[in-house]
Amino acid sequence: MHERLSFHIKRDSVIHKLNPLTKLTLILALILISFTSPWYWTPHVVLLLAVIPLSGLGRVFPEFFKAATRLILPAAGFLFLMQAFFQPIGEEVIFKFYFLDITQESLMFAFRNAMRVFVMISAFTLFLLTTHPSELMSDLTRRGLPGQFAYVIISTLQILPQMQAKAQTIIAAQRSRGLDTESTFLKRAGSVLPLVGPLVFGSLVEVEERAIAIEARGFTSKNSKTSLHEIPDPSFEKTIRWALLMLVILSIAANLWLS
Amino acid sequence: MAFVNLQNVTYQYPLTKTPALQNVNLQVNEGEFVAIVGPNGAGKSTLCYTLAGFAPHFFKGEMSGTVEVAGKESSKSTLDEWVLNVGLAFQNPFNQISGAKYTVFEEIAFGLENIGVPREEMKSRVEDAMALTGIRDLAERSPYSLSGGQQQRVALTSILVMRPKLLVLDEPTSQMDPIGTREVFGTIRKMAEEGMTVVLVEHKVEWIAEFADRVIALKDGSVLLEGKPNEVLTSELLAEHGFGLSRYTSTAREAKKRGIWKKKICL
Repeated sequence: MHERLSFHIKRDSVIHKLNPLTKLTLILALILISFTSPWYWTPHVVLLLAVIPLSGLGRVFPEFFKAATRLILPAAGFLFLMQAFFQPIGEEVIFKFYFLDITQESLMFAFRNAMRVFVMISAFTLFLLTTHPSELMSDLTRRGLPGQFAYVIISTLQILPQMQAKAQTIIAAQRSRGLDTESTFLKRAGSVLPLVGPLVFGSLVEVEERAIAIEARGFTSKNSKTSLHEIPDPSFEKTIRWALLMLVILSIAANLWLS
Repeated sequence: MAFVNLQNVTYQYPLTKTPALQNVNLQVNEGEFVAIVGPNGAGKSTLCYTLAGFAPHFFKGEMSGTVEVAGKESSKSTLDEWVLNVGLAFQNPFNQISGAKYTVFEEIAFGLENIGVPREEMKSRVEDAMALTGIRDLAERSPYSLSGGQQQRVALTSILVMRPKLLVLDEPTSQMDPIGTREVFGTIRKMAEEGMTVVLVEHKVEWIAEFADRVIALKDGSVLLEGKPNEVLTSELLAEHGFGLSRYTSTAREAKKRGIWKKKICL
């Protein structure tokens, strides 16, 4: 049974204790600085001196490393190859593979872009590993995000694995009655309809019942909502957020000034 | 005056040709535990939705007559006001899990967060409700990792924690084993003794006979019979209309027919 779709790892760390908005601001600032700073080595430095040490500080380095090598590295590596081979910049060819040329400029360009993507995905991974989804949503709702919007996001994270499990049950039930789901493409395509029907109609009924269930628990109450978890937001974190915002503005300004 | 008062209530869902409830008159006193029985399609769930304000506020449709709970009239209230007084738990526990929470404790607190209960009070109310339904050991589990019976207890607890004046339950023990069913019926009985009014739809007539104060039999959207459990559940009229009887009643009836049993039909 799939229980949930959440990457959060419960640990006692400085990063875990930060307010979710501070963490969100931090990772967005790191990403924006990586993309806007005019200095070539910025994304590399951000990765080595900020993202990786933060994963250690958050006590999630093993999980972070696993995600980085299994998921982020292949994605960034693919981007690197595509851009290195197909970016038509530079004259001096340093590597040739049939009709594909790599120039020093295209190599440098690809390396920086791949690193930017690496920083972007790894920073988000770090955020997901150290932030509980319901705490993030509670905090954002407290700050004015509509409750319905927060509900849609967070319930989708949980209900999707349940729908996947249900689809597996329907497939097993139909197969036990002789439905062919494993032979040729055409036969499998024809088998989709008897699977989709129960899943879609079943889901529609579930949506109605779930709407009744949450209405019965005051979901649309006009009272101001409270939260089970206390999500602290000390004043120094507000200062950190403003400082990060200033850094982003400086990075963008430097980019505009030098271009 | 009765705590729950339905006067000539007729309700028809949108896009249907016949009313699901027809001219229903029903009174329930404060702290009374009333069970509703009836065959499929009798209007039991619709009656639950009507009491809980979802018919017509949520489903729309046509309604005539009046529905009053604690002196307030359903047609003059909004659904979010109504649910503060009337709690509803229904059959399928899976669909009653909000999907917004990651532990059972958080799930039960969800309703209290919505209505703005302060944090400390919320925690103690959740603790109390969990102790009442015997699910303290599930507090840190994911609601989706539970069995159907456990999920039903969580769904019931999630409503009990709201402390409604009227508790409406539509087959709340359908996925429970006999031990779980007895425990839940015991809890509901206790809540009624403490002053909560309970309307329960249930097919397990043996449990109704043991725990309910009064039984109302519905057939084709109308009240067929009402009275004490032993009067209603052993009535000849119910057997004639195809109601499910307890195995003891069926056996006694058969024995009486064959001349083996001379006394009154038992439950």
